[in-house]
Amino acid sequence: MIVGKRKPFEEIKDLIGPYKKVLNVGCGTCVAVCLVGGEKEVDVLSAEIDMARRLSKEPIDIDSITVERQCDREYLEVLDDKVEGYDALLTMACGAGVQFLAERFPETPVLPMVDTTFIGVNQGVGWYEERCRSCSSCVLGVTGGVCPVTMCAKSLYNGPCGGTNHGKCEISDDQDCAWHMIYERLEKQGRLDGIIAFTPAREHENQVPRTTIQPGYKKPESEQ
Amino acid sequence: MNDRAATYIEYAQAVPLAYAIDMDACVGCGLCENMCLAGAVAYDDKVRQTDVQVGSIILAPGTKPFDPAGLDHLGYGKFANVVTSDGFERILSAGGPYYGHIMRPLDRAEPKSIAWLQCIGSRDTNQCGNGYCSSVCCMYATKEAMIAKEHIHGDLDAVVFNMDMRTYGKDYEKYFMRARDKEGVRYVKARVHTIDENHETGDLSVRYVDEEGKVCVDEFSMVVLSVGLTIPEDATRLADRLGVELNKYKYAKIDPLAPVETNQPGIYVCGVFQGPKDIPESVTEASAAACLAGADLSAARGTDVETIVLPEQKEVAHQEPRIGVFVCNCGINIGGVVDVPAVQEYAGTLDNVVFTDSNLFTCSQDTQEKIKEMIIEQGLNRVVVASCSPKTHEGMFMETLEACGLNRYLFEMANIRNQNSWIHSKTPDTATEKAKDLVRAAVARARTLKAMEEKRIPVNQKALVVGGGVAGMTAALNLERQGFPVVLLEKTDSLGGLARRLHHTIEGADVQAFVAKLVADVSGAEKIEVLLGAEVVGFGGYQGNFTTEVAVGGDKRSIDHGAIVVATGAVEYEPTEYLFGDDERVITQLDLSDRIAEKGVADVDTVVMIQCVGSRNDEMQECSRICCQNAVKNALAIKEQSPDTQVFVLYRDIRTYGQMEDYYREAREKDVIFIRFKEEEPPIVEKSGDGLVVRVKDHILGQQVAIEADLVTLSAGLRAADTETLCRTMKLNTNLENYFMEAHVKLRPVDMPGAGIFLCGTAHGPKLITETLAQAQAAASRATTFLAKPEIKLSAITAKVDTDHCVKCLTCVRNCPFDVPVFDNNEKLIKIDEAMCHGCGVCACVCPRQTIQLGFYEDDQLISKVDGLLAEKTG
Repeated sequence: MIVGKRKPFEEIKDLIGPYKKVLNVGCGTCVAVCLVGGEKEVDVLSAEIDMARRLSKEPIDIDSITVERQCDREYLEVLDDKVEGYDALLTMACGAGVQFLAERFPETPVLPMVDTTFIGVNQGVGWYEERCRSCSSCVLGVTGGVCPVTMCAKSLYNGPCGGTNHGKCEISDDQDCAWHMIYERLEKQGRLDGIIAFTPAREHENQVPRTTIQPGYKKPESEQ
Repeated sequence: MNDRAATYIEYAQAVPLAYAIDMDACVGCGLCENMCLAGAVAYDDKVRQTDVQVGSIILAPGTKPFDPAGLDHLGYGKFANVVTSDGFERILSAGGPYYGHIMRPLDRAEPKSIAWLQCIGSRDTNQCGNGYCSSVCCMYATKEAMIAKEHIHGDLDAVVFNMDMRTYGKDYEKYFMRARDKEGVRYVKARVHTIDENHETGDLSVRYVDEEGKVCVDEFSMVVLSVGLTIPEDATRLADRLGVELNKYKYAKIDPLAPVETNQPGIYVCGVFQGPKDIPESVTEASAAACLAGADLSAARGTDVETIVLPEQKEVAHQEPRIGVFVCNCGINIGGVVDVPAVQEYAGTLDNVVFTDSNLFTCSQDTQEKIKEMIIEQGLNRVVVASCSPKTHEGMFMETLEACGLNRYLFEMANIRNQNSWIHSKTPDTATEKAKDLVRAAVARARTLKAMEEKRIPVNQKALVVGGGVAGMTAALNLERQGFPVVLLEKTDSLGGLARRLHHTIEGADVQAFVAKLVADVSGAEKIEVLLGAEVVGFGGYQGNFTTEVAVGGDKRSIDHGAIVVATGAVEYEPTEYLFGDDERVITQLDLSDRIAEKGVADVDTVVMIQCVGSRNDEMQECSRICCQNAVKNALAIKEQSPDTQVFVLYRDIRTYGQMEDYYREAREKDVIFIRFKEEEPPIVEKSGDGLVVRVKDHILGQQVAIEADLVTLSAGLRAADTETLCRTMKLNTNLENYFMEAHVKLRPVDMPGAGIFLCGTAHGPKLITETLAQAQAAASRATTFLAKPEIKLSAITAKVDTDHCVKCLTCVRNCPFDVPVFDNNEKLIKIDEAMCHGCGVCACVCPRQTIQLGFYEDDQLISKVDGLLAEKTG
């Protein structure tokens, strides 16, 4: 799941700046599940903004709506006849949702209320941890299910480096060494022989937005 | 402590919370009768005699604190700053003479030091004849000391003078340790022999002999006498009239194996009249007495009950709200401050309000009739009462609505008394304005209220008892006597549990004969099905409708039942200390009682018993409650068989609470030698040549002594039976010591937190067989109350999920304090079972998509109330 964190309130106030009538748009999928951008958080933020602006004697007209998902155009359709008249749209979706919303309403400023933090897992109520960097070349099959890109401070495909320190990483005693964990996991599974194999480094330069088309699908003619 | 007005409420928690006239203080002016607005005073009321025909009688006449006036050396009644413990409770009370500020009576100065003197009127055959321990004073003195330290600014030196600290109840030892180690309450082992007053300061000098035999004199600002429990004279007269036998201390004479039965069939006892005890045991016995009294009458159950027939409910869903507002004066409670006519008039200006009224007492019977009339006459479909807290009368008003065909949830209250007139009594104008605001908010919410249906679920009138020891068997038999079928599960191959290893109670009752009879009764009972070698492997359902999967032998069985009694018991701790297991002459108390019964002890010269083995230490902080009396019981049995055998008991505090104190005294009289050791200086058991030597520091001699022992008996404490798997399967909770938790430690001691689940015996905590029997009867009684109704009406205030919009984020699942929401793997939906929902609303608050609504407290119903409150006043 994509996890986000609400922006600091001061930053939110600065972003909204001079606008006097805004629509706060929540997203009912990932950010709702990670307790940052569903109906409840949208209502809470709207109330906070309303109160802050009243206190600073610059009242704002703020409405709230939460759509099912901001990364599917069908779900954005409900906004088409609503956005007119607003000075700006606030969105509590992840970065993808923000951009998709901005693409749909190019005339209107779209302001993110949330910092997208990572793809992660839920360890407990409100407690999330990163587990994936979406590197596009998954090696988890040979690393015993421990991701070296996410868990290693250097994102090394081949490790450990000289900084491994009795199971910890040289950057901090709170940080486990990913390659130590990989070693232990593979040892437990009797698969240590595979650890020697060299994995070529990922090409990080000249990155362009990635596109995925699932097998059996294609872009509609009009977009090609 | 100070004078009481002639009309008074006994104390703040009194039930009924009503005024009475103190005829000693009353001058007979009769003004109260003339002044009372409600006409509730009948000044000339006389005692009337009424005949009532009953099938059984329960005696619960309670207790009276010991009056220390006769004990000259304590100066009570002579020195103003010597008070009794119940007097000190009044000083601590916010409703007491000093409004909760701790002051001493003489000069109303805050005390700098307070001494509590234990065992005043208890454990004292010399001066007052009360040989028993009152069982409760060690705990209340500790509590009072802690509260006093909390209330007094600056340091208070709080000292408890005691012979033994008897904090033997569930979690009591931890409380005592907190007082001693964290709050700094000092405990001194001494019995104070003289108190003198310093005439200038009013301070008190307390004279005692310390453990080394030195005479000490300490000064205190105040002295509290921890007075014991006694039986009031009218109770003994009552017993006499009923022919109920009492013992020498005037407590009801009971058989230890029939704890709440008197010598008169059909007459039962409970509470302190049965023997000195604390609140949980009193409540437990009350249920036990109700169980036996009810079993006698079970054939007549439900025959003398008036059934209320309710008219059919009116459909209001599509009607425009027609709201009636009833504003209460509450005598002068509201009307004396708030301008009630103005509030009533204002209510009439609000939208949808079609009728208003004001009443002297809206809760009175005639007003209920009037509300009913107006609902019908005016066609009201919502009712608002502006009076007191909904906690007091909401249920009653809702019944009034139901009685004339209006759904009970079409009702709303505005609290213009507790939250308004009482706190703004000095500013009546503000109070009137606030009352209008509160009424406006209530009317706003009333507009949004909907009729709600209360689901009725049938109750499967069968009980499942888990555990076939004395507790489980007693619970099963009593449920059977009440007419309910029972399935009794026992994991081993025989019934009886730990009691199979007990021979006699300390009073001499034959446990083996009793257990044999119990097993025979259970086995012969028509409605009890016993499953031996049974293990719970699956569990589901909710109150009244549980299904438990049981593995018996190689077979699996599914049992449907409505209630559960948990009676899984406890086991004797297996010691690792004092050479146990290493030398066969080191045995436990249970081993010793076997030896006394089977082989005798005539061949033994010296027995050394060591107390608190596996109890009151770092690993197990709690006291095991039963071991002190066990040691005394076995010591007396040895002396009976072989008077020349020397018996030493090495102890930390002897906790022979209640009337068992007599046996402790008897043991000392028979030359059993008791040597106290300190926690930090435990005895040492060594092999020496062929023999065993026990070394311990005798605190009176101030020296190490070495005792050559033929037998060393360890008073190994109790440990809860291993119920980890059972807890996981049946979702039951235990405390740190693995004993099951009750719903409320004091007030609901045999109910478990989940509805329809009850608890008894040592699964709840260490206890004697007598106490176990009472608790098992109590559990049966509570289960009977639950099973006796063929169906349960559930509250409509439960949470509902809008599954179309739910994103299954599990936030509700993880936050529910009762584990009610679950993800259903078959339907792939989050489900909240309304039969299990407690209606607390946590899930509705945390749901990130706001897809959960709590009935009667839906979002718009709450927000409309807030909006109503904040709206500008019009009219």
